[in-house]
Formats: sequence, C-alpha cells, structure tokens
Amino acid sequence: MLIAIDPHSGVPAYRQLMDQIRFQIASGVLQPGAELPSTRALSATLSLNPMTISKAYGLLEHDGVLERRRGQTLTVAAASKEEHQTHKLGHLRRHLAPAAIAARQMGVSSEQAVRLFREMLNRPDS
Amino acid sequence: MNPVLEADHLTKRFDATTALNDVTFSFPEGHIAGLLGRNGSGKTTLLHHFVGMLLPSAGECRTLGMPGRDLGDSELSRIGFVPQTPRLIEWMTVEQHLRYLGSFYHRWDRTRLGRLQSELALPSRPRIGTLSVGDRQKFAVISAVCHHPSLLLLDEPFSALDPIVRERMLTLLIELAREDESTIVVSSHILHDVEKVIDWVICLDEGRLTVNAPLDELQERYAEWTVTTRAGNLPARFDEPCVLAQESDGHAARLLVLNPGLNEAGFRAGHDVDLVARPLNLEQLFPLLIRGSHRQP
Repeated sequence: MLIAIDPHSGVPAYRQLMDQIRFQIASGVLQPGAELPSTRALSATLSLNPMTISKAYGLLEHDGVLERRRGQTLTVAAASKEEHQTHKLGHLRRHLAPAAIAARQMGVSSEQAVRLFREMLNRPDS
Repeated sequence: MNPVLEADHLTKRFDATTALNDVTFSFPEGHIAGLLGRNGSGKTTLLHHFVGMLLPSAGECRTLGMPGRDLGDSELSRIGFVPQTPRLIEWMTVEQHLRYLGSFYHRWDRTRLGRLQSELALPSRPRIGTLSVGDRQKFAVISAVCHHPSLLLLDEPFSALDPIVRERMLTLLIELAREDESTIVVSSHILHDVEKVIDWVICLDEGRLTVNAPLDELQERYAEWTVTTRAGNLPARFDEPCVLAQESDGHAARLLVLNPGLNEAGFRAGHDVDLVARPLNLEQLFPLLIRGSHRQP
C-alpha cells in the first residue's frame, strides 16, 4: 500500500491517511476484502506514530469503510455500487473546487471551462 | 488512559523570578508530546520537576502517579531523561561510560545499545571529554533509552545534530513509541522536526500553560481562509466572532479563523463570496498556541 503523509501540510496525519485509503478504495487499488497492514507495520513503513494509525483505522471502521474480521485482521468492507460512485464523485469534487473558484474569478464562462475539462479528459497530457 | 505526567497548580519561584506559574495539566500515556515555548518560557524547569531534580514552590507534580519528591527506584528505572546539557564523566571513554550507566539498570539492552551506536555512528573509543557537542547529544539519547523506559523526556535533544542524524533520531522516537509502547515528551525549538513525530502539544509561555491538547485537534481548531469576490465589494471588516485576525484589499481578504469546520457553512450563507480554506502547520500555529488567555491578543 503506497501512502505518503506530508507532516507539514497542516492537515492532521490521521485525516491524510483516511483520505488516501478512501481514495485507493475508490480507484480500485484496494479491493473489497483486501487486508490492510497492521498498525505496527504501517507505523514502521510510514514512520508515523502508532496512535495516529489506530485513530485513522478506528474512524474508517466506524464509517463502515473497513471491517475487522477473524480477530485482528482489518479488511476493506464490501460496498454497494452507489456508495462507490458517491465516493468517487466526492473525491473529484474536492479536486475541482479550486479550479471552479479560479474560473469564476477570471471570468471564464461555464461553457469554456467545461470544454477545457472535456478536452483534458480526452487528452490527459494536455 | 492513565496520566503519565500531572501538574496540579505547579508553581516554581527562583528568588524574584516565577519560572512556572500555576501550571495544571495531565498528559496521558502512549502519546508523543512536543513541549513548546519560547526561550525562558519554563520548558526545562517543567521537565526537571518531572524527574525530581526540582521540587515545586507550591502545588504538586506527579510522574507515573508518584509525586516528584517521592520518586524512587521503581519509577526512576522506568524513566529515561535526556538533559539539555548532559553532565558526563569526562575522563571515561564512551564504552566505559555506557558500561558504567548500564550497571545501574536490570533491563539494560546491549543489543539495542550496539544497534543505536552503529546507526548513529557514535564511536566507542574516544574519551567523553573529547566528544563534539553533537556526539555528546547522541550519547545522551542512546544512554537514556537502553533500559526500555516507559517514559522518555528529552530537553532540546536535536539542537547540535546535523539534518541526517536529526532525521534518524526522529525515526528512533517513533520506534521507541512502537517497540516499548513508551510515552515521550520532547522539548524543541525546531518545530519543523518535531511536527513529524508528535501527536500532542504542551505549550508554555512566560511560565504559564497555554495549550495541552492533541495536535490534530489544534490543526482542526484553526485555519486560514482566503475570501474573494468578483464584484470587489468585500465588507471592510468581517464581524463574525470566529474571525481572529483579518486583512483585506476589497477584492480579497485573508482571515484567521477559529473552528473553521463549524463556522464555514454559516459564513458562506452570510456572504456571497468564494472561500478557500488552508490548514496551518505547526510553525504557523505556534504564535496562536503561545498566545494564552493571560495575554492580550
């Protein structure tokens, strides 16, 4: 599981961890049933305080994103198609919000902005 | 969680100076705290109380449940302390000094000692008196952790270390928290460093406690908002009580905001503006953290 935490971003580390696990689930990197590394193992790889990892895992479990099976192993919970769709759009929305504000401030019309976004979707390197 | 450190109206006076002024807090086990504050804010004095090197003028402090004046072998063998300027026996070699210190502890771990010494590149043969300031700091840290302390207190342990060794030291703190399930307090001016490892903040200013809270709570308590409007008609001042500080040029305003999560929806409803929220890192939070209730903003 490839995760990068920026300790200087001001975003609490447990939030960054939750966001990235959610993103990996939404993008299909982590499939339902996949096992997550133990708190100790992830603390060692990320050089993160074990308490931070327990907090993120605990909240994701509480939200039903992760579930604890057969004693200790933490796995990705099975989610409905609609739930996946909502998560994906939620992530995308967060990425697009600053672009929408910039477009409004520069007076770029909705049509122009949408056309640009469509072009970029078709040609990812543009 | 059991409190590992507790201060109850702890006050310390040195002649005319009040170094600690009515400090009350409790710090639970399992966390890594940054003890933060400006020069002369009382950080070292506070740490010295928790290891029994100083006794309160008034009030009380407890370490592992025991008042400072009653700390005995059973508590002291579970504490590791790295003083700002370690007092060492200068004529001994590093190896002799480490063996000497090890003889005081039942749980002295020679395997850990060897590993840390080679990882941090601390040589065995030189006499203590010939070590550089940085090597003395390495010595102090290594000799404070080989008995697997459940509580580790470090007073400015990184100041003389180069960035590579500092990084290694920070990883070491995380390792200790994981392997020994220890509780750690580290005082430091280098906020950029400690931000990588701490999950708790204890802040002093002019001898008073201004903050004792989890770091993530503080990160979520404050934010900077950039508020803009196309029309260029921002109000001259935002009067919401959550706005702690502000500057505006009519088109854009930068606001320092308390409890941004709770207040964003209401703010958006009251103003027709675009709002971008930016979280604050430890260096940006620091001026807010030392601004206790005893000071005028």
